[in-house]
Amino acid sequence: MMRGIHQNFDQQPAPAFFVRGPSPLARLTFFTALSLALMATDSRLQYLNDMRQNLVSLLHPLQVIANAPSDLYALSDEYFSTHHHLLAENAQLKKQALKQAADLQKLNLLSLENDNLRNLLQAQQALTEASTLAEIEHVGRDAFTKKVVVNRGTNHLIVTGAAAVDATGVIGQVTRTYPATSEVTLITDKSLAIPVQVERNGLRAIAFGHGRDNTLELPYLPANVDIQVGDKLVTSGIDGIYPAGLAVASVFEMKTSPDSPFAHIICLPTAGIENSRQVLLVSIPKAKPSTELKPALNQAGKIPSPAEKANVPVASENTAQTPSQTAAPSTVKKPTAQETRSGHAQN
Amino acid sequence: MHKIKIQSVYLSLLLAYICILFPWSNFVLSFRPDFMLLVILFWLLRAPNLCSVGTAWFMGLWVDLAMGGIFGQYALAYTITAFFAVIYQRRLVLFSKTQQLVYVFSLLILAQIILLILKAFSGHQFIGWSYFIPSVSGVLLWQLAVSLGLNTGRHSHGQ
Repeated sequence: MMRGIHQNFDQQPAPAFFVRGPSPLARLTFFTALSLALMATDSRLQYLNDMRQNLVSLLHPLQVIANAPSDLYALSDEYFSTHHHLLAENAQLKKQALKQAADLQKLNLLSLENDNLRNLLQAQQALTEASTLAEIEHVGRDAFTKKVVVNRGTNHLIVTGAAAVDATGVIGQVTRTYPATSEVTLITDKSLAIPVQVERNGLRAIAFGHGRDNTLELPYLPANVDIQVGDKLVTSGIDGIYPAGLAVASVFEMKTSPDSPFAHIICLPTAGIENSRQVLLVSIPKAKPSTELKPALNQAGKIPSPAEKANVPVASENTAQTPSQTAAPSTVKKPTAQETRSGHAQN
Repeated sequence: MHKIKIQSVYLSLLLAYICILFPWSNFVLSFRPDFMLLVILFWLLRAPNLCSVGTAWFMGLWVDLAMGGIFGQYALAYTITAFFAVIYQRRLVLFSKTQQLVYVFSLLILAQIILLILKAFSGHQFIGWSYFIPSVSGVLLWQLAVSLGLNTGRHSHGQ
């Protein structure tokens, strides 16, 4: 044993205590101070954002290498998918296309009618949202947050704040953009809130992510609020971020307790938060409406805030009908159908 | 006895980083060991003249970048963990294999606890005890590497 230890020390070319330089404690103090300074800078000031962007674009080749195995697997999986599977999928897609073509015709008619009515009301024209199809590269690596990274970034004109939707509803919001990728915070993340409206009765509320399990909460609603289990929540559109009428969640559980003035409402997201791969990034143009709308709003003597903007055409009518009045997203079909349906139901 | 080349240290750190960048799915993500910390600990124990607290800090910054959180969190966690690894490094030759495993496990847990505290300060809540699974899988990976013949600083004359 003694001989072993002796040799073990011998095998190092120079004794460790000569080559180590500053003591570990000195290094610990120095680097801890440096880390703390970095954390303070990054969380309180915005200096490091550019640096982060540049470093991430530097990392992109590495990310491509890391993605290669799974990409290759997906590619080969697609290549070897069976004839039967493809036929079935084709038939289903044809059926879907037929149904959607019918819906689309109806949509064209309705949007034309809507435009005419808006002209009559001298209200703002519905703005068409810019949308980009993106694919989820990977889920966020931090266990504390619910995020996904998609393969479109500032190179593809993605801006922070754009809404991310899939075929069935809202997934989240773009919170950070890099040149080739961007980070989408999911609606189930604790830090994300989304303005919603109950489809059944038009009640407005704000849904917060729960953070832990894939659910959302509707806090601060009174215990006697008119919400039932199974109610569908859609985006209200009054935030100027999400297009109105997109499905968000459905009420899963509603509890009231005598010791709390608020109802405890848990909702399940409608969109395939954990399992969709393609997402649509929809951003509502910001600069354009403010310049266009100012004169009209000034005439009306109103403050041009996003909430007001959405409510202007509704002012003369029942406020509960907001979704049928605001912008119809031409790119997303399904929610539009819902929207028109809800409009009919209310009429 | 051959000298450990600095290139092999950098190459292994790069490989560990690519492992972190893999597109892990949600389920596997909760089991993923902290490859970077494992590699850093390995070099800290094996070749303290090539890999120091500063290396741990520097690699921590890159991990911070990959994780997308506030800069400096992983850097700080790695720095403190590396410090505790280094001060006991010379005693490691006297440790038995089990002692070494316990040592590595407690270092991995230490890093996670530091991270948890930092995350708590920035407003996140504890996600449950499954948070510590990566430390367990990390130490299992360490054991696997040792049983596959990786020399972790003990009995290095045998090679």
